[in-house]
Amino acid sequence: MQRIDTAVTHGIWDGQLPVRISIDPTDAKTLASGAILHSHYTFMHRCSYLPLVTESVREVFVKSGVAFTGHDADIWYEYRGVPLKWHYPIGLLHDLLTSQYRGSSPLPWHIIIHFTNFPTDKLIRINAANIIDTPHDSFMSMIKEADYIRNGSIKKLMSLSKQDQTNLWQGLSSHDYDKFWNVNARLVTNDNTIPKYIPLRVYLLDQPVIQEPVAPVDDNLDCEYTLRDILGRMLPEIFPPSLDAPTTEGADNTRKSDASEAVAILHGIVIPIETPILWLSQNCSYPDNFLHIVICR
Amino acid sequence: MRGLHSRSILTSKRDTPTRLTTLDRFGCVRSPSASIVFTMSDNPTSPISSPPTPRTANPAAKVVVRFRATGNAPILKQNFYKITASQKFQTVMNFLRKELNYKAQDPLFLYVNSAFAPAPDEIVGNLYKCFGTEGNLIINYSTTAAWG
Repeated sequence: MQRIDTAVTHGIWDGQLPVRISIDPTDAKTLASGAILHSHYTFMHRCSYLPLVTESVREVFVKSGVAFTGHDADIWYEYRGVPLKWHYPIGLLHDLLTSQYRGSSPLPWHIIIHFTNFPTDKLIRINAANIIDTPHDSFMSMIKEADYIRNGSIKKLMSLSKQDQTNLWQGLSSHDYDKFWNVNARLVTNDNTIPKYIPLRVYLLDQPVIQEPVAPVDDNLDCEYTLRDILGRMLPEIFPPSLDAPTTEGADNTRKSDASEAVAILHGIVIPIETPILWLSQNCSYPDNFLHIVICR
Repeated sequence: MRGLHSRSILTSKRDTPTRLTTLDRFGCVRSPSASIVFTMSDNPTSPISSPPTPRTANPAAKVVVRFRATGNAPILKQNFYKITASQKFQTVMNFLRKELNYKAQDPLFLYVNSAFAPAPDEIVGNLYKCFGTEGNLIINYSTTAAWG
């Protein structure tokens, strides 16, 4: 029987990121000429999405003198020149874009808010008619994709009641752990059957996302794969696959020092590389049911 | 119309998958025209015994996309196309719009395997590796939200 470790899932759910938000200097000049604009400091839930915080952030800037009368769908964010994908969880955006710090980046995370010039070539446009519809649809599509990866169909998700499906998004957007996890536990434990594959994406800065079928156990169901096994297969040049057990202490030390060059970050934490991938998937997936793992070299 | 497509990164797929026969060391199949089509085994192999993924992807690597109309969506004259594996799903969306002569504001919904709508920035090669069937990536399209 697979059980959720609620100490872990609560910890991940409550994980927050201190963020400093400054207005883009060009926007400040055109929208708030004369006003002195300070940065806005706030906490964001790592598992949440930027469109879910935009309304409250916009209010702060408008109150401080930004003459913004447009739609929230026009607002976007940037970190060091990189527009932030609103359909990625906030924690993933931070871990990926600060991956050169190997999990100990300077905080608060300093990002820039833009009120104009939405970069349609780099970010998906949000439907202005309903600012929450687009993120909701995108989130549910990820949950469906995850279910398909685990089971080869989305029957498990579609067998949930309409209310249960609604509770996933409502639980996430209102930060209601019980509402979300009462439904999500059935998905991530796959009703106590071993999933065919694990919903997982691997990210390296400035490289295409890696996603491929990852089985959690070997064909005979007698060996659980670890994160090392998976990364060793996907990125053999970064994570040399484990060879036979080393026979001398010296050989062991050598391998440890090689492995220490690259680390896998999830929820801002360096994940022990021998963690079984199935346990990781059930307990440490983002709310969209994917493990979004950032590799820091 | 064909002339337009020959300039796009999508090329008309004239060979049927059964004619693409030569296996290379990555488990890819070489077509007579030397473009490459990923193949997915019917019997999934374990991650450890699988051949290594070609990380230094051949820029010519292609995926066969098979379009299927759903509901009252217009059908295409030809429904097999080859697309470069490193392209984003947005390219597939743009191509289908152009092929159907749909404007940006016309509603069009794309799904993989009648199951989910990939994000525009997902990579076609990744979708093929995870969701491809019988040598194709099956894309269902509809003018109304069908599985959303």
